Amino acid sequence: MDDIFLIISTLIFLAGFVLAVASLRAGRQGSVRLNIGLAVAGLIFQSLFLKERGELHGRCPITNGAEVLVFISWSVVILYLALGRAFRLSLLGVFSMPLVFMFQAIAIVSLLSADPGARPPATLDPWLELHAAMSLLAYGAFGLAGIAGVMYLVQDKQLKSHEPGRLFYSLPPIRYLTDAMLRLLTIGTVMLTVGIIAAFFMENLPDALHLTVSGAVWIVYAVILVIHLVKHLAPKQLSISAMIAFGFALLTLSAL
Amino acid sequence: MSIFCLGVNHKTAPVEVRERLAFAESSIPTHLEEIRGLQQVEEAVVLSTCNRVEIYGAAEEPAVALEGLISYLVNHFEVTSGEVEFYQKEAEDAAHHLFEVASGLDSMVLGETEIFGQIKKAYATAQTSGATSRRMNKLFQQSFSIGKLVRSSTRIQQGSTSVGSAAVDLAEKIFGQLDGCRVMIIGAGEMSRVTAQSLRSRGASSIIVSNRSFDKAEELADELEGKAVKFDDWGNFLNEVDIVISSTGAPHAVVHKSAVEKALDDRRGHPLFLIDIAVPRDIEDEVNELDNVYLYNIDQLTRIASDGVARRERQIEVCRTVIHQFLEEKGIEALAEIPADRRHDGSPSKPEGSSAEPLPNS
Repeated sequence: MDDIFLIISTLIFLAGFVLAVASLRAGRQGSVRLNIGLAVAGLIFQSLFLKERGELHGRCPITNGAEVLVFISWSVVILYLALGRAFRLSLLGVFSMPLVFMFQAIAIVSLLSADPGARPPATLDPWLELHAAMSLLAYGAFGLAGIAGVMYLVQDKQLKSHEPGRLFYSLPPIRYLTDAMLRLLTIGTVMLTVGIIAAFFMENLPDALHLTVSGAVWIVYAVILVIHLVKHLAPKQLSISAMIAFGFALLTLSAL
Repeated sequence: MSIFCLGVNHKTAPVEVRERLAFAESSIPTHLEEIRGLQQVEEAVVLSTCNRVEIYGAAEEPAVALEGLISYLVNHFEVTSGEVEFYQKEAEDAAHHLFEVASGLDSMVLGETEIFGQIKKAYATAQTSGATSRRMNKLFQQSFSIGKLVRSSTRIQQGSTSVGSAAVDLAEKIFGQLDGCRVMIIGAGEMSRVTAQSLRSRGASSIIVSNRSFDKAEELADELEGKAVKFDDWGNFLNEVDIVISSTGAPHAVVHKSAVEKALDDRRGHPLFLIDIAVPRDIEDEVNELDNVYLYNIDQLTRIASDGVARRERQIEVCRTVIHQFLEEKGIEALAEIPADRRHDGSPSKPEGSSAEPLPNS
């Protein structure tokens, strides 16, 4: 049943993306309500999948790569719904959907081909759960920051070229994108900090590789924020940094 | 009982004719009463703007009502019938016309929103004067729904249609809301004034004006509630402002890349939007190569405005499809037959052919 929830959720996100692109191509204003409605519907099925997996394992459902990808997708969607409107970021959802779809499609293939099954913990360690959950929520925020970075670069290119394209009128102002990027990077770094601190309270400390990788990701984001704080990175540099840093964070997932 | 529409607009009559036919706002209730006194006219709404004068109404026999209405206008406004070509529409055509007007499809600036408010006001005046009943109420309520739907589901409002609006739209794509944005004008020309006023109308504040003739700078600064600075000093303010509008008559560049580059150091990552509407150009082209700086010259703004107009024109068919789909689903409510059991309180109270008699507001 959990696989079905995941497939439905993935199809909903795909439908949302296709509808938004079709609206843009047809020159019609996509319905904001429809986009949000689809994101909420996708989130519900994502949550149902995670709930089923959580019950299967008797713990936070991040026991394998597929679940981790779904958990990050879930945090991307939930942050988009929570912050996208507040930051007045139209199209953030549309730009997020391909990432969410890709993550979940990989998760579906992985689970359908070789589902590792239940992995109940010997003892339930709340610090481990907190560490894992906060770290992956942070990845969601970093993912959205990277997406806001892509949107900034697209909008910046259109403004610089003096030839506004099809997306120009639908994309948010670059100042909003810069603000959103900064806030998401800050939120993500704070969450990751909490996650890393929680790791030191765990009954069994994570292995050295795990700690090194988590620390490296934290350092990358902390350095970006500190440099910005001190030297005021230009938004373009901030966007590129957010994108590269998220790429790096994704690479580290395999080691976690 | 059916509905009709009679009028002239910017496409059918020059301004000399439109201004003669324009209804003074204060006299509209009186005109409505007189119009409703005409043979067959049961309900009426007068829409009088600078681009159109239209009268919508309901009558048992619209053809008779229209004939009476033309005579009334010709006599009242002292125009000869050969001088003015009124368009006359009945039933579905009249309704479709109002729906397109409310959607901004019949406006001089396609998709503009002012007409929507003007229709609302015209309807409110007619309603307050007791000149509307079921048909007009249904017709205008439906036009408001359609106007809103068209604007929210199409891109008819997207794209700038003038140099001034192109500058404002670009500023909004850079800064978002312009509240608190600081503007500097270098060269107090007419185009600068118009562009600054457009920016100001959207919330821009703290306008600094610099001009070779300080008197002129002060004059424009007073008008825009800003501050005048000496021409030699404008460079000192470059790090404080968000938008620069330059239109001096200088034969060479006034704003150099090095000056902007220097100002960027103090801007803490805030973008800078430069609008060069001078010919020859005031701002070095290389300035646009700087990160976080956006430079537009008059040709680029003009091209965006023409593209915007073309973009809106391409949306007309999309808008018509939206209207068509809406009407497929709901029908034209003003043309629906009134059920016999509701006629006693729903239909107009004036007997056919009688003179003005107040209608119940609904």
